[in-house]
Amino acid sequence: MNLTKFLIGLCLGCLVLIIPLSQFQPDGLDPLRTLAVQLDGRKKPLDTVAKETVAQIHGATTYQPPEGETQDYLSTYLQLWFNTRNWNEEPFILVSYRPLKEAVGLDLDRKQFTFQELMGNGALGALVQQAHQQQINDDDLSRNQREALTVEDRVNLLYQTVGDQQLPIVPHPTDSKGTWVGLATAQQYYDPDAVAPLLAQFAMMQQSLLSHGNHLPLVGQLAIDLKAGLQQLSPTIYPNQAKLAEEVHFNHFHPFGKAWQLYALALGAMLLSLRWPVYWSALGLFTAGIAVQSYGFFLRMQIAGRPPVTNMYESVVWVGFGIAAIALMFELISRRRYYLLVAAPLAVVCLVLADSLPAVLDPSISPLVPVLRDNFWLSIHVPTIALSYASFALALGLGHLTLGNYLFTPQAKGRIKTLSQLNYQVLQVGVLLLTAGIILGGIWAHFSWGRFWGWDPKETWALIALLCYLAPLHGRLVGWIGDFGLTVASVVSFNGVLMAWYGVNFVLGTGLHSYGFGTGGSELAIASVVGLDLLFVLVTAARHKGWLRWPQTVTQYSPEN
Amino acid sequence: MVVQLIRFLGSVRLAVPLLIAIAAILIGATFYESSVGSRTVQQLVYKSPWFGALMFLLAVNLGLSTLSRYPWRGTRKIGFALTHWGLIVIIAGSAAVIHLSTEGMLLVRTDSGPSNQIRVEGDLLEVVAPGQSPQQTDVWVRPDGSVTPAQLAGLQLLGYSDQAIKTVRFEEADGVDNPAVKLRLTSDRMDQTLERWLALAPAMYRQVDIGPAQLEIVQAQSLEELDQLLSPPAPTPAWGTLQIDGNDPIDVQQQMGKTLALANNLELTLTQFWPDFRLDANNQPISASNQVRNPAVQINLTQGDVQERWFVFGRDDFEPVRSGDTLSLSVTYAPPSSTAADYFRVVVSPSHKLFYAARSSQGFTQGPLQPGIAVAPGWADFEISLVETLEQAQVQRQVVPVTPVNGAVTAGQGNPALHVATPDGQDQWLPWGEPTALRTKDGPYLAAFSPKLLQLPFWVKLDDFIVERNEGSESVAMWTSQITLIDPQAEKAIQRSVWMNHPTWFKGWKLAQASWNPGDLKQSTLQLKREPWWVTALTWIGSLLVVSGIAVMFYGPAVTKRFRHPKVSTPQPESVVSSQAPTPDLAPAAVTK
Repeated sequence: MNLTKFLIGLCLGCLVLIIPLSQFQPDGLDPLRTLAVQLDGRKKPLDTVAKETVAQIHGATTYQPPEGETQDYLSTYLQLWFNTRNWNEEPFILVSYRPLKEAVGLDLDRKQFTFQELMGNGALGALVQQAHQQQINDDDLSRNQREALTVEDRVNLLYQTVGDQQLPIVPHPTDSKGTWVGLATAQQYYDPDAVAPLLAQFAMMQQSLLSHGNHLPLVGQLAIDLKAGLQQLSPTIYPNQAKLAEEVHFNHFHPFGKAWQLYALALGAMLLSLRWPVYWSALGLFTAGIAVQSYGFFLRMQIAGRPPVTNMYESVVWVGFGIAAIALMFELISRRRYYLLVAAPLAVVCLVLADSLPAVLDPSISPLVPVLRDNFWLSIHVPTIALSYASFALALGLGHLTLGNYLFTPQAKGRIKTLSQLNYQVLQVGVLLLTAGIILGGIWAHFSWGRFWGWDPKETWALIALLCYLAPLHGRLVGWIGDFGLTVASVVSFNGVLMAWYGVNFVLGTGLHSYGFGTGGSELAIASVVGLDLLFVLVTAARHKGWLRWPQTVTQYSPEN
Repeated sequence: MVVQLIRFLGSVRLAVPLLIAIAAILIGATFYESSVGSRTVQQLVYKSPWFGALMFLLAVNLGLSTLSRYPWRGTRKIGFALTHWGLIVIIAGSAAVIHLSTEGMLLVRTDSGPSNQIRVEGDLLEVVAPGQSPQQTDVWVRPDGSVTPAQLAGLQLLGYSDQAIKTVRFEEADGVDNPAVKLRLTSDRMDQTLERWLALAPAMYRQVDIGPAQLEIVQAQSLEELDQLLSPPAPTPAWGTLQIDGNDPIDVQQQMGKTLALANNLELTLTQFWPDFRLDANNQPISASNQVRNPAVQINLTQGDVQERWFVFGRDDFEPVRSGDTLSLSVTYAPPSSTAADYFRVVVSPSHKLFYAARSSQGFTQGPLQPGIAVAPGWADFEISLVETLEQAQVQRQVVPVTPVNGAVTAGQGNPALHVATPDGQDQWLPWGEPTALRTKDGPYLAAFSPKLLQLPFWVKLDDFIVERNEGSESVAMWTSQITLIDPQAEKAIQRSVWMNHPTWFKGWKLAQASWNPGDLKQSTLQLKREPWWVTALTWIGSLLVVSGIAVMFYGPAVTKRFRHPKVSTPQPESVVSSQAPTPDLAPAAVTK
């Protein structure tokens, strides 16, 4: 019976994955999407190029022109590439940072601006110039200057993309690592007679897009011949169709996005199970989420050809995955709902954050810096450490749930006791994984930097995080703190993890681990979340210890003061 | 008492405060590190004796607590013992890695020969005291400029500055007359004080350029000359003057194109002047600029049928270039004098009195120069005063630290230097990288403050440096050093490749790719590291013990329980607490079904 319910949940989850069914229907654009482009150090399908370009300039993967219907990234990109709109006057370039808009006098209510508006803005130009000068002098940039440079990058990318004849889609004739060229310069590799038909096809694509409005399938038809022609030029070098199609599938299927939807559904089902017998179906939904996320990691590893966790974005997604996986394991053992109730929102938060902050957590797949390449110990050290962060995040969630109980239903002693026990087990897993991760890091450091331990800030902070958990765990052994103390510790000590994970790179900004991460910039937001959370802990502690009964105390002691 | 102490040393009661203390210290250290840099923190905290003592205390605590639980019966206790012994081994191993290993950087180039000297982090002081054998020590500099150790071979080490410049000082010495003055220039508005020596010898101290103006010292041989030196400069001919056979000089500009009749039927015509003489691509004389840098004059000489063309240059060491050598004539060309527009001239009269003459846009002033009376020459609000006068000066070279001044002209030009004092109390600055002799009454001390270098037992030659780039872009995918390792004893050479994360080992040394120079692909920096094999073994064994120990401690009891009683339906891992003090069993949790 339970198995049936579980399978029903699993099937429901699968249904969510395949709906809408139209996503699997061929729309005739695949030849266009799978056109190979050599960009940023690897060969990728045009679909990825379109997605990354539009997201970088516009801040979103769809574009809503002032008149007309919303365009997806592919058609937006084609209109850029074939220059079929007046891009000078389309409000397309994202300028989101409010103080910057104030400083250069842009409309505060708008998010996107036209090329003309930005190019004609003297104050912005001056700010960019100043920022470049300071970069040359090695001075620190202000936040406004950094944002201005980002805007400059977007403006440049738009300028470069519109009518781009240099987009490297023509393969190198012999060398698999050789530099590709644009159609306009293809003659440096190939006979003009071989290139001429391709140029003609390209012109026809442009013409049909211009004359038929936004009729993409026609362009897709023409792209079949263009792609075949390009492939024919250098059949051995041109990437395999299956590999290109796989990446297009990854972009469109969006497994990490589907995963958080499933986690959210599972959370809903689990809440319903408090009243109705849908516990096993909730587990089924949750399992479907984990399955689709694993599939996502599998695809990403295949596309990138490297271990799953190499930058901040991947670590956030991986931690989300770890939270779900560890919670499912414990849920199957304990069957108390709490793990899943806590894990689902945490995993959703991780995945939504990863999806919605492309500026901080860059999802694009780009080649690794040399120090991260080609190392077995690294490829297990980082995922292990990140899994321990996931355990501690789960303990953080459980801690909050327990503290909530202390605050609102202190009389439910049995539930609090159970929650504390469950929390303890997660902390154990975290301690084991973090210790193993630190040691694996030491072994990697032994190979890479020649020493097992050298007090680099990142390794020191991993150790501090571990100590933050070890101290209360040992303190409990002598009875200095009880269940409540350990609950508080599982919440407060997570700040150590946060610091080791995020803070060392962005707050301290020093050390050997300073590669592979973006520019940060959300310190204030994170600090305020942490501050609010500590306030919550304080309030709960006050309630638990009885400090909140202050009216009596004050009247009692005020005469003596 | 002793029993109680040992019990306390091995107790959790000590462990928890110790863990908290270590965590707090580490947090502080990482934040401190982000402001002062890692080398300082390594010395002040991580490699300091007190931190070592703290780690030792932790090891003692771990050891005693494990011993006190002997015999280790049951999987949990075994796990406990494994973990804690493992931690002791790791602490010992890590300490050994930090204190016993040697590390250095080796710069190799494809276009130079093999190298065997590595640069080890830190600086070295070597001292040879009079009549003693050489001694050396590592010098460590704290951020405030103080140094450790405090003394070596009788020399006291007083401090360090990374901004020291070489200057000179003049001292009275018996012998030759050599007037020298020390002038102080102060400007309140620019918040600047400069002190400069002027002396007749060495020649480079006769004129000192200080930016806004020029300082100079001149000895007047006669009263006429004194008068002349103290009067405003007469306008000198713009193109200089020509002196022929010791006659009165003639003004080149005035006489240009004219013919002068000389003795012996010789006729001289000034035909051309170049302020900045060069030869162009066709070997034709041209002037490279309108500034008088390398002035030259062309003269044509005629004597009967003989004609010669001479180029006369304004440089003392340069004979005229002549088209023939039948005519004999002595021609010297005095180029336009290079007197600076603004100057402050100290004039020593024949009776050894000091005078000054100063010229600025404000005009010309002159008068006697006396100690304590400031002269305002008229450059901004600068005032010049005489600080010291010497009659028979001798130059003493000296290294001094630069005191930072607002808008200091010398900032950024200095080199590191070490401040030392000899036993007789004299202090002096030792420049970095230059052996120096310190004179004392007992004899000279030889001291060298230099980078720390180490000789390898083998030689490394960079054969090729390969930079692989990501396809179609300039970003680097990998860089690889192909090296030959030469062992002089065994007379063999081995070829190896070293790239990121793939070091190679040779004679106990590990060679790893460290960095490269994007501007020079013939160069590669390798990191060389050596640690005793048992150190590596310790860390690896400790790692294994700790990880397996934690796993056994947390999950061993549940696994063994299951193994012994396969029917038990609670695959609950037993928590530490539940085995310490009985807590409500989690088994009811499974009832939800």
